[in-house]
Amino acid sequence: MNPVLSARGVGFGYGDRDILRGVSVDLSPGEVTILLGPNGAGKSTLIRILSGILSPREGEVLLCGRSPGEFRRREMARLLSVVGQDPPVDFPMTVAAYVGLGRFPHQGFFGGTSPEDREQVERAMERTELTGLRDRPLAEISAGERQRAAVARAIAQEARVMLLDEPTAFLDIRHRVAFYEIVTQLKESSGIAAMVASHDLSLCAEYGERIVLLSGGTVAAQGRPEEVLTPGNIQAAYGVAVACDRNPATGAIRVTPLRGMPPKD
Amino acid sequence: MTGGGKRSGAVFPVLAVALLGALALSAATGPVSISPRAAFDAIFRGTDDTTARVLLSLRLPRALLGALVGGALASSGVAFQALLRNPLADPYILGVSGGAAVGALTVALFLSADASPLLPLCAFAGAALSALAVFLLARRRSGISPERLILMGVVVGAFLNAVIMLMVTLAPPGKIPGALYWLMGDLGLGTPRRVAVLFPYVALGTVLLYLLSRGLDLLLLGDHAAFQAGLSVERVKTATYLTASLLAGSVVAVSGLIGFVGLIVPHGARVLVGSGHRRLLPAAFLLGGAFLVLSDTLARAASPAGELPVGAVTALAGAPFFLYLLRRNGGRS
Repeated sequence: MNPVLSARGVGFGYGDRDILRGVSVDLSPGEVTILLGPNGAGKSTLIRILSGILSPREGEVLLCGRSPGEFRRREMARLLSVVGQDPPVDFPMTVAAYVGLGRFPHQGFFGGTSPEDREQVERAMERTELTGLRDRPLAEISAGERQRAAVARAIAQEARVMLLDEPTAFLDIRHRVAFYEIVTQLKESSGIAAMVASHDLSLCAEYGERIVLLSGGTVAAQGRPEEVLTPGNIQAAYGVAVACDRNPATGAIRVTPLRGMPPKD
Repeated sequence: MTGGGKRSGAVFPVLAVALLGALALSAATGPVSISPRAAFDAIFRGTDDTTARVLLSLRLPRALLGALVGGALASSGVAFQALLRNPLADPYILGVSGGAAVGALTVALFLSADASPLLPLCAFAGAALSALAVFLLARRRSGISPERLILMGVVVGAFLNAVIMLMVTLAPPGKIPGALYWLMGDLGLGTPRRVAVLFPYVALGTVLLYLLSRGLDLLLLGDHAAFQAGLSVERVKTATYLTASLLAGSVVAVSGLIGFVGLIVPHGARVLVGSGHRRLLPAAFLLGGAFLVLSDTLARAASPAGELPVGAVTALAGAPFFLYLLRRNGGRS
């Protein structure tokens, strides 16, 4: 299937400091891609470039065959949603109002809220188990609940591509599993393409069809979990020794860190 | 859904009644006592005596001016707070009011004796120019950060204050007391003509802001998230900044520097209706109007000769409130 979003030889940097070099990634409908890489590898920068906030210094980004700069803002937001920054807590915005902002690309700038909007917001909150918190201010719920609200807002946006920057960092194990289940459902029912930046090697292997391993601003490896999650790749990217085997319960790759301080390079 | 969850529909009627009550109280307060009967006769039967003249050409215009000024300041504050994603922002902190004051003083001190139609325009020009200066100084390739904008606002504001002092010093001696009094914030200039001069600016500004309200909702997400959610961020920010400057500038021209209304009232309105701007902007306008009319009534009751400017009353209430917000925000982060 043709990729819906792709980066071709993307390079980016500030001054003479390179952050990304020659990054090529394709996101296809109905596929969940996991973006792995150590802190500072360039994962967030790549997501900003893919979403059109930053322009690549080299190479190009194509969303449905067009450069992000060619889109009207709301047209692009109907195709691409992003979970990145934390929800705002300086103003008393409720969970429902926040999730409702995801409907903006589907509404007129001056228009109101349609029954369809309401229904999508309710469904997004149900999916992320936030219905009971709908009238609570964002500042008064936990960091994990706010993160689920951010995912709910992106779901309500009903885009064909979702880019998620560490959406599970504050989630407990139950809500992490729930998050990956939701993304899998969206992929199967709506055929979305998703890219999830994460540090969770075991769940990635369980849910990701493709893994992109970013290290030092370049793609160190990409492909199926068993191709990418090897002791050699992980040692090279993260500088820790691991053992990789198959989880007897699920058959997915299992990555186990080995004891002992990692060698400094 | 776009609102803040508080579904109570009674908020707006209550706010409207509060504003009407404040207007009535203001009209009834003063050295000449006016009975409700006399007021009714003056307004609806066109009686022409001293009572009617006091009511129609002094008290009601002053009260209406207070409602317009308070509503416009509160709306401007809501807009600046959303623009900067900072609940502590208002036109004064950003140097916009200082620019408006320089524009208005230029006319009042050095040009013509009675140039009221020119005043709001020059004040808006001053507000827009100082806003533009702050805007350009704070702007970087990556966009406009709230911290930089506030810092530049403070710097430009300090500079403009110095300019104001210089202008007052150089003014014809007879005009200095009036200028100083006006600078403290005063509604005494509420002749019917001034209300009529201010009204179109306030109407235009509040309607434009209301049309931007969905964009203001999204600005609260932060620039990146608002962009990714489909907002033309820079365009909406520019429109908001200019509209909020228009409101603040035209108000300063007529009533001088009345502080803290743009800071306190938006907070109160958010408690009542949440942070969705479709409800917040009208609520802030009504609440701001009622607040300023009551403050002015209080000032006049406290000093029947009229020497206490309303700006002193709002600052007495506002400065401690600002400190409270500052401490609360500091405690959170």
